[in-house]
Amino acid sequence: MTQDDFDRLQTLLASRAGFRLTRDRIHLAEHRLAPVARRESFDSVDAMLASLWAKPVASLGWAVIEAMLNAETWFRRDRAPFDTFARELLPAIGRVRPEGRVRVWSAGCSSGQEAYSLAIGALDAGANVEITATDLSQRAIDKARAGLFSGFEVQRGLPTPSLLRWFQPSEDQWAVRPELAAAVRFARANLLDEPAGDQKFDVIFCRHVLNDMDAARRGGVIESLERRLVDDGCLFLGPDERLDGDTVAFRPVTGRRGLFVKTPSALSRAA
Amino acid sequence: MDVRTCLIVDDSRIIRKVARRIVEGLGFEVDEAADGAEALAYCASAMPEIVLLDWNMPVMDGLTFLRRLREQTGGDRPKVLFCTIETAPERIAEALAAGADEYVMKPFDGEILQSKFAEVGAV
Repeated sequence: MTQDDFDRLQTLLASRAGFRLTRDRIHLAEHRLAPVARRESFDSVDAMLASLWAKPVASLGWAVIEAMLNAETWFRRDRAPFDTFARELLPAIGRVRPEGRVRVWSAGCSSGQEAYSLAIGALDAGANVEITATDLSQRAIDKARAGLFSGFEVQRGLPTPSLLRWFQPSEDQWAVRPELAAAVRFARANLLDEPAGDQKFDVIFCRHVLNDMDAARRGGVIESLERRLVDDGCLFLGPDERLDGDTVAFRPVTGRRGLFVKTPSALSRAA
Repeated sequence: MDVRTCLIVDDSRIIRKVARRIVEGLGFEVDEAADGAEALAYCASAMPEIVLLDWNMPVMDGLTFLRRLREQTGGDRPKVLFCTIETAPERIAEALAAGADEYVMKPFDGEILQSKFAEVGAV
């Protein structure tokens, strides 16, 4: 891969996915794109990129973009947010909603571990939830929907009683049980696009997404998260993700790392 | 600062070595036993905080060790993490019913052990 190829790749990721591909990732790019080139029947990564630059085919472009995104995820990643969600937020929000129904969005859900973790917390608590999970990557969404996870994946963050309760062995993997699968709706969506429809959510999990975003696109994404969140809703980011300088619409909640609520100035502007 | 100990019980020297490196990385002092009887003798003199326990071992298997440990005075204190190649749900349930606090399926890695230690409140 030439430096020019990498520069173009950076531009492609930033413009289509808002993803910041840092300069030290050139070897990672080679490594991640090799299987894509094989799958798409090119002789090499260089040949695939040359073809893409000469004739931008959307499907190939997205295959390249998807391979470069950061798909890292765990069940109950960082743990505390999932306890806060199940023990504190669900009962509090459920009390003031019709039929106790709480609407949750896992934005940037990758292969689904976050959404299933939220569903397990809600079902174990007997809560009435509607969980929507979206990701930019179609491959990630396909895997999430299939609900098949390796022994390594289920052991990262999932307590053993939850594994026994909500999964069943399927050859050498673990399959999400139908009751759990039914609690989550997966869809492909790009956080850069205008949301289709005007559905609002009570709780949004958008964790380990913003830190990988291009500075120029973060603001727009945060604004659209704000528009999709009800006034008394809660936004979860990763424990090391900050909104300082990006927006005055959210403030962090003391003692609950990664949890944000709307500031008074952001409330009901659209009303 | 109190020394926190983890007893690794496995008949494979290689598994003990791999697990030791990970568990030491989590801030524990590690001791080893090659079967359940050896582990039980160790616990009779000093209860570890954590036991990482294989299932199939010569002399005394992990499940027998666990049941005997839980009958001992103070034997309810150690957090016991089974760590075995058994992956059938009924075997996992059997281990939990016998008093295991968590269950690790081999093969495992550092992230998995750290995650399981966190699950029992050890890290």
